[in-house]
Amino acid sequence: MEHHLMWSWPVYWYLFLAGTGSGAIAVSAFIYLRGPGGNYGERYFTLAKYGALIGPLPVIIGTGFLIFELGRPFRAFNIMTSNFWYTVFNPSPMNYGGWLLLLVGGISVLYAMTFLDWKRYLAGGLADTLVRWSDGARKPLASISAPLAIATAVYTAMLLGAMPARPLWNTPVLWMLFTISALSTGIAAIMLANRLFHRKTDDSKQNGLFHNSGYWLTVSDIILITIELVVIALFFMFAYVTVQDASHAIKILLPGGELAPLFWTYVIFIGLLGPLVLETFFVIRAQYSGGHFHAPYVFEIAMPMAVIVGGFMLRYVIVVGGQLTGPIGL
Amino acid sequence: MSDHPAEKNERREFLKTAGGVAVGTAVGGVALSQAGMAGAKTEPGAEGESDPGVQYGMVIDLRRCIGCHACSVACKAEADVPMGVARSWVEYTEKGQYPNVSRSFLPRLCNHCSEPDCVRVCPTGATYKRPQDGIVVIDQGVCIGCLYCAQACPYGARFLNPVTRFADKCDFCIHRVSKGLVPSCVNTCQGRARTFGDMNDVNSEISLLMSKNPVSVLREHIGTNPNVFYIGLDSTDENTKKPGQYVRVTTHKGIDKKRG
Repeated sequence: MEHHLMWSWPVYWYLFLAGTGSGAIAVSAFIYLRGPGGNYGERYFTLAKYGALIGPLPVIIGTGFLIFELGRPFRAFNIMTSNFWYTVFNPSPMNYGGWLLLLVGGISVLYAMTFLDWKRYLAGGLADTLVRWSDGARKPLASISAPLAIATAVYTAMLLGAMPARPLWNTPVLWMLFTISALSTGIAAIMLANRLFHRKTDDSKQNGLFHNSGYWLTVSDIILITIELVVIALFFMFAYVTVQDASHAIKILLPGGELAPLFWTYVIFIGLLGPLVLETFFVIRAQYSGGHFHAPYVFEIAMPMAVIVGGFMLRYVIVVGGQLTGPIGL
Repeated sequence: MSDHPAEKNERREFLKTAGGVAVGTAVGGVALSQAGMAGAKTEPGAEGESDPGVQYGMVIDLRRCIGCHACSVACKAEADVPMGVARSWVEYTEKGQYPNVSRSFLPRLCNHCSEPDCVRVCPTGATYKRPQDGIVVIDQGVCIGCLYCAQACPYGARFLNPVTRFADKCDFCIHRVSKGLVPSCVNTCQGRARTFGDMNDVNSEISLLMSKNPVSVLREHIGTNPNVFYIGLDSTDENTKKPGQYVRVTTHKGIDKKRG
């Protein structure tokens, strides 16, 4: 299946990286703004920190990929500067996206900086100033980051969905799919960091907090995966019951289609059903045993990894499948 | 009828008197360009209709097309199109079971749509529909080569020029048309299948041809209102064929053999 794709690896890597990054930023901002009163208790700050530090880099790298994909990368800022008034009111989703990525890139980096332990890196008055700035700016930056990160996740689908000539993408379900997947992979990235950076300790209170946060992250992931499965069902329904182009395009993902093996193996079974079954098992076990939420280390690493792999393959299948299918008829 | 000199009626009147003369006339390049493009526009309708302006378009009479690819070659030479990509190309549709078979030809180019989706998605405003003649052009000084337009085009008319790294496509030979000539593919067409001119001028040769023949456009259901029309179009496609029917479409478009 050698195909010439106009949008190839930079685009699906961008969609995955920007989705995961913005999901992590959004989840981090939600957890931080909820504060210590929420389910994460005293651990809320650590989890918000993981999300805030994970988020910006993938978004910026993904944007870099997008610019690399251009025929003329050094002209990328033509999106903003070619004609100011036309550009501001230009209805092209890529134009909104350019401004949005510029904003998200800047603000998410500032938001991440508020979580840094300045005293460890700097000495003297500068560190004190930065700590004071961090404490003051964290909450406003979180309040701005959350909607911007959600908008980035929505935009990645809007970019693809704007074209009737690409029936697989041109559906109002796509933004839901990409947004839910972004939040889901964002939570998975935070789960992974939560597990990997946790140091073994004999302090039973700290251990309790760690297990409790793992429990609530897993529960959130279960809810998001369930919603994602519903949205995927809607995605198929919507395309399948449409009479013309979309019902033909969706055949590429249905059994017998060219991308069906990749889609069903990696997105549905490894990325969604597998983690869903395992996570549900461990959550139910924790509830019935009445004790701490606990899963074997391997599973605690494997479950979020599987979600992240599924999120990547979802972007891959959608980006490639959309370009292999087109309107029917001459 | 002559009491209401609306454009429609005028056209009908004209057709009555003109009879079948125009179609039989040889489509001479320069002669056509003078008749169709020299701005010999009819007066706007008396009921306050505004002048629709010039909208260049093309009619390709597939009954006259012999699939010789001369248009592709002329275009390649005229626009200096690099290897592997094409602004103008010819597709073959083969169908049927031996001995009941047919092969039909379909010359392709940018449709210069009236509702161009490529223009709608362009993030820089580099591609636009010229108000003076309706030709969809790309400003190479602005284009960043993101290929959003190429994705949005339902006709696969756009591509990334591997030499200039800009989005590229047919521009109706804007350099020739602005000097009163017809596009190179029209000029070279061996079967005289192609007719070029102002679709909004009811007296142009292309309008007469469209009035007297059943014409169709490609992928009408997308709603882009193309301005390239075909006479005798066979819209059989591999995707819409009947069960058991043999259909094979060859695009000859370039390295990407698949119809997008």
